Amino acid sequence: MRVPLSWLREYVDVDLSPEALAERLTLLGMEVKSIERRGAEWQNVVVGELLSVDRHPRADRLSLTRVSVGGGEPLEVVCGATNIAAGQRVPVALPGAVLPGDRRIERTEKMGVVSNGMLCSGDELRLTGDADGILILPSDTPLGVPLGDLFGDVVLDVDVKPNRGDALSIVGLAREVAAVTEAVVRWPDAALTEAGPPTVDRLRVDIEDPSLCPRFVGRWVAGVRVGPSPDRVQMRLLAAGIRPISNVVDASNYVMMELGKPIHTFDAAAIHDGRIVVRLARPGERLTTLDHVERELHAETLLIADPAGPLAIAGVMGGAASEVSDATRDVVVESAIFDPISIRRTAFRYGLRSEASLRFEKGQEHRLARIGADRTAKLLADWAGGAVAPGALDTNPVDPEPGRVAFRPARVNLLLGTSLSAPEQRALLERVGMEIETAPPGDVAVQVSAGERPLTVVAAAAETLVAVVPTWRRDIAIEADIIEEVARVRGYELIPATLPSTPVPAFRSSPVELRDGVRGALVGAGLAEVVTHALVSPRHLERASWARPITAADGETAAAGTPISVTNPLSADHAILRQSLVADLLDVVSTNARRGRTDVAIFEVGRGYGRVGEATQEWWRLGIALWGAFEIPAWNRPVRDADLDDAKGVIELLARYLGLGAPTYTGIADEPILHPGRAAEAVARDDQGGTGLTGRLGELHPGLAEAWEIRGGSVVVAELSIRGLTTGALPIPRAVAPSRYPDVERDVAVVVDEARPSGDLAAVIRTRGGPLLQDVRLFDVYRGAPLADGARSLAFRLRFAAEDRTLAEAEIEAAMADVMNALQEAGGRIRG
Amino acid sequence: MDLVQLTRDLEDLRAEALGQVAVAPDSAALEELEIEVLGKKGRLTGVLRGIGALAAEDRPRVGAVANTVRQTIEAALRERGAALRNSELEARLRLERVDVTTPGRPVRRGSLHPSIEAMGDIARIFAQFGFVVHESPEVEDDRTNFQMLNIPPDHPARDLWDTLYVDVPGHLLRTHTSPGQIRVMQAMRPPIRALLPGRCFRYEAVDASHGFEFFQVEGLMVDEGTTLGDLKGLLDQFAHAMFGARKRTRFRPGYYPFTEPSVAFDVECLVCGGSGCPACGRSGWMTILGAGMVHPVVLQYGGLDPERYQGFAFGMGPERISMLKHGITDLRLFMENDLRFLEQFR
Ligand SMILES: [Zn+2]
Repeated sequence: MRVPLSWLREYVDVDLSPEALAERLTLLGMEVKSIERRGAEWQNVVVGELLSVDRHPRADRLSLTRVSVGGGEPLEVVCGATNIAAGQRVPVALPGAVLPGDRRIERTEKMGVVSNGMLCSGDELRLTGDADGILILPSDTPLGVPLGDLFGDVVLDVDVKPNRGDALSIVGLAREVAAVTEAVVRWPDAALTEAGPPTVDRLRVDIEDPSLCPRFVGRWVAGVRVGPSPDRVQMRLLAAGIRPISNVVDASNYVMMELGKPIHTFDAAAIHDGRIVVRLARPGERLTTLDHVERELHAETLLIADPAGPLAIAGVMGGAASEVSDATRDVVVESAIFDPISIRRTAFRYGLRSEASLRFEKGQEHRLARIGADRTAKLLADWAGGAVAPGALDTNPVDPEPGRVAFRPARVNLLLGTSLSAPEQRALLERVGMEIETAPPGDVAVQVSAGERPLTVVAAAAETLVAVVPTWRRDIAIEADIIEEVARVRGYELIPATLPSTPVPAFRSSPVELRDGVRGALVGAGLAEVVTHALVSPRHLERASWARPITAADGETAAAGTPISVTNPLSADHAILRQSLVADLLDVVSTNARRGRTDVAIFEVGRGYGRVGEATQEWWRLGIALWGAFEIPAWNRPVRDADLDDAKGVIELLARYLGLGAPTYTGIADEPILHPGRAAEAVARDDQGGTGLTGRLGELHPGLAEAWEIRGGSVVVAELSIRGLTTGALPIPRAVAPSRYPDVERDVAVVVDEARPSGDLAAVIRTRGGPLLQDVRLFDVYRGAPLADGARSLAFRLRFAAEDRTLAEAEIEAAMADVMNALQEAGGRIRG
Repeated sequence: MDLVQLTRDLEDLRAEALGQVAVAPDSAALEELEIEVLGKKGRLTGVLRGIGALAAEDRPRVGAVANTVRQTIEAALRERGAALRNSELEARLRLERVDVTTPGRPVRRGSLHPSIEAMGDIARIFAQFGFVVHESPEVEDDRTNFQMLNIPPDHPARDLWDTLYVDVPGHLLRTHTSPGQIRVMQAMRPPIRALLPGRCFRYEAVDASHGFEFFQVEGLMVDEGTTLGDLKGLLDQFAHAMFGARKRTRFRPGYYPFTEPSVAFDVECLVCGGSGCPACGRSGWMTILGAGMVHPVVLQYGGLDPERYQGFAFGMGPERISMLKHGITDLRLFMENDLRFLEQFR
């Protein structure tokens, strides 16, 4: 909320500098977001007096004026406005002046006459809303004084929190200032002179459901002359961020800013029989609102109506037909209390949230209904010359009693960590308008919690005080609210800083430990971590979804269910929760490739989301994408593009890191997003046979790479489920002492059909190699003469060892013989 | 053959061999020369073959001369050999010289994403004070995200969280990590010291300081007698650990429906040091987190008796922490995933 200091000072004395005041308010919880100096932009604009106003010798539409700005020779200034006359005092922008909007004023020639500056309108100075004529200043305005000294102001932009509707007003903030400075708040004058027939003879209000409109105060102001507000009023409203419209509309806005009470004014002639009904809309009813939109009214809409139909949407927006216009003679002032939830829902339903609805939503102090009506009527009398009809129509003229909230001073200290005496607490609370009573004898019920889960505890009267809460503080209902007030008024800076001395909870391993380990390992392997959007476009889902979900590793959540859609998405690009990481990673590859990168190696540890019936599921996965040079291109090494084997290398690194056996790969040709000949399922198990890592990897299908506009080289992607990614700790490896006896290595080469997976033969060797075989490693693949077409030779290196002895040649030969037999049984030919 | 002749032959051999040693061009030639002169079938052996013809009493004298000659030649060979090896080594070293100013063969190292790293940094600091990481769902139910946090339907405070709703009845994308407070309290008894990092969502247009997806870290501590002063002390520790021990902090009132009293916590502007600049809106302070004492209603929904237990909660944006720390001015960089940005974080 924008608070002009000149306006604030009307209700409370402020001895502080704007900066000091801003800091005090901020420390009180009324955060000042910015301090604006109005008038700082009026450089070289001073008050002048028009000595003469003559017709320009060569232009009928222009006037030639002589202006005195105090000392020195009078200035000749050419002016186009028609509202000027000799003797008036006006703002004069001298040559060199700079006006709002960085408008520079220079000495110029206008139709043969030199103009030594410019006379300014209120709009040009952003001081009033009037752009048609020159701003005529009061005749006692001192001559030659810079305008900024007279009309400059400081505006604080205060962030009033949603629970403090009472502070969404100048008076409300004056109360906060007073809490700091202990000054007295002066209330605006609402004393009225009344004349004519009484209001109750002219106006009648029926309320169908008082729970939706607990109080309605109406005032009748006769014979108004609608026109612009006094300049002073316009200046204030503009400084507060409100555009002046007319004296009648400005009066209601002024009261809203001043008291926080939204007011609506009707052209009395538009109200049939002077009869107002406050009721819900009926089926099929329509209303053309002030913005000239005809709206079909929803049945939950609270209306201000007359016997002929709707006049206004209560608390939200008036109707065009009953709007105050230049022709308006009599004005009906509505100052009502509405149900906050009803107003909030209605404002949202029609997309019509305004300064008024915002205040209604937060709840209003009931007595403001009467005060606001009277104050508006007074301003209408003062500014528009209206005659205020005697008496107000008030449907519920009883001001509610202030609430009483019991609190325990000891509890205040227990929560804050302070040791404030009861009198100290009392004094602090009195500064925000509370009266503190001693509790009545006997047990006192202390409200600890309210709302859906009310809870009261019984305390002894001697340990309890009762705060009588001012009616504007609708946010204070329980003991904790009182505790906050004590801390707030005293200042949070005085809370002693301590460290917790309560028991530390039992040890619990971190669910992110394994994830962090995996991330570290991948960074070591040269991959960059990315974080992409969980919300993706449906197109992503169509293009790059797995045909079958990735199998979950042991203990991990399976990818299951249908995709979850956002019902109010910001854009179609982010409308659905992802089920796989692949599409997002392809976006990153594509973006970086477009920006000139030739090497992309990335990973993301992220969640997938699915809906199963009425329940939701989330699962953690690791996604990897490689494209372009896998090693950093350098002068001393040839460029080598990433391929499937690089992805395997990364997966094998992870398997080692996680204490799993080497992954086994199984070819798959039925995954549409991957190259049918370059795709595999990977599984790595621990030595108990448990599945520690599962997933799918492969070269992206060329068609898909094209869809992502990734050109040149293939993209390799993988998505993995890893045991422990959700909550796990890193496994502790079992260390084995190396054998003291030498290892023996033997090679065997086997010729097989090209289509025969090497993994099959490695598995044959492993199962038939006997207890001495430690390790099998493919070390060469050969095609070509003398081998037949379609055949290849796979060379494996086998490592044998025993823990307790040096192996005898004979036992190795025996093991090798078994291996070779097995390979032959499996369809291979042993190569000499 | 007489003694004199033999002695002269030996002297001649010495002179000739020394001359040859002196001009031997390289180690190989020197080695050949050594064999030729001193080898089993070498010239010295040849000369001494004549010793048999001498008188017995002369033989020792020739032997003595021959020994001297051998030793002299051997010494010359050693000396010449060392010199030759030396110059040969120098020649090789000259030959092996490379341009040492060229860059090396690069070793690839990846990078950790700054959002996740900031969450890790925060968790490491609070771990020292006994806070343990917990996680909760991102697709949250409406009640846990709002009502149980003392934000009933149609409450004006709902304006603070523009929400993305999903097509699963009663569910939404969590707007903050605060529902994790409820889940932690429901799952365990005090003493509670929990840290809840994770992804959050808001219906919010993207600009330099807003995104519709971002991360948050929530903290929760509940026990008997946990005070607002404890919160203040702990947050001071955090700010000092994260931004430097000398940084001033400011503890002031804030507003959240799920805390009472509520707190906003500022640290002295890292750009201007508190004198006021555009980065801090000329206030000299930067707000880094919100906090407060857990509202009694929230404790109740967590299954705890607010008369017995009390505590505090705090929440912060790791991206904001990271931006302040690294001098980043645009939040969008975090999800744009331009590798030139990401690779700066190791
Ligand atoms: Zn600064």
